[in-house]
Amino acid sequence: MSLIDFSKSEITFKVVYYGPAMSGKTTNLSWIFRTIPEKVKGQFTSIATETERTLFFDFLPVELGTIKGFKIRLSLYTVPGQELYKLTRKSVLKSVDGIVFVADSNRDRREDNIKNLADMFKNLEDYELPDTPIIYQLNKRDTPAIMSVSELVEDLHLEGKTVYLGMASSGVSVMDCLKGITREVVSKI
Amino acid sequence: MEGQLSSLVITKEDIETIDELFSQYLVDSQAKDIILLNKSGELLAKSGAVTRESAVAVSALAAGVFSATNELAKLLGEHEFTLTFHQGKETNIHISLVDPMILLAVIFDNKAPIGAIRFWAKKISGSIKPVFEKMAAGPRQEASQDLKKGLQDEIDNLF
Repeated sequence: MSLIDFSKSEITFKVVYYGPAMSGKTTNLSWIFRTIPEKVKGQFTSIATETERTLFFDFLPVELGTIKGFKIRLSLYTVPGQELYKLTRKSVLKSVDGIVFVADSNRDRREDNIKNLADMFKNLEDYELPDTPIIYQLNKRDTPAIMSVSELVEDLHLEGKTVYLGMASSGVSVMDCLKGITREVVSKI
Repeated sequence: MEGQLSSLVITKEDIETIDELFSQYLVDSQAKDIILLNKSGELLAKSGAVTRESAVAVSALAAGVFSATNELAKLLGEHEFTLTFHQGKETNIHISLVDPMILLAVIFDNKAPIGAIRFWAKKISGSIKPVFEKMAAGPRQEASQDLKKGLQDEIDNLF
């Protein structure tokens, strides 16, 4: 649910990076945090376990600029991908405005991608948010034993959807995904 | 099923009313900070010494905690828990539901007894509830057509 604040002339959107464990959601946010100028980013909050896996969520507020006199702010979240944190994933998705689904291109993660995507759609259905804009990042294209793009598109039913090929650890397509989802959420208002 | 509005629109007048109430309560209750947020974790208003940057992070985490607590409630057969309280050595935080979409976080130091914290949180919540009821009843839940068109036309200027 976007927040339009006329007192501060600001519009805030909530964008969630969703996807299976270790697919690179936090890596996307870390890259954004490192790349964008100091003055437009807020505090990077991460609730991670000792092994640095996301336990609850990562949170990064960013300010993109001004259009029509309104500052456009994004609240970026990730969800924990592990199966165990199914309910946490659901709770982070509450009132979401847009989603970047980060799929892992590795062949051995095929089932995880499919399961996690189904879990996401189930949560959106529960929250009555079937029209939420979603873009897809097929990540880890730089690792060996990956699936072809067409296999992933077929597996995840992405025909006609917005798909980016990512290597989040070196920043490939990270900012493009951010721009893509921003366009989608702003045009939905 | 949990239906949601597409946008929450807050006017200058709404924020002025809330700011005025918060300033008064900050004095009366001796709370350190009062933070108002929505369930998606966005900061709506704040009062006290807390910086905006911290209040933004507190809002995201408070909404996350509240939401996770409610999944716990459902597992235990409750519809939802309406408040959650965390006690520390120096600081306590009380997070409670103001209306179906709005949460209030009140931060106290360790001198305030729990009864007083609960009393003030309830009182503040009761005072600001009418502001949100008015908001929900008013015809302002969507952005104006002019704003929508402007945003779409100028979106490429953001990058």
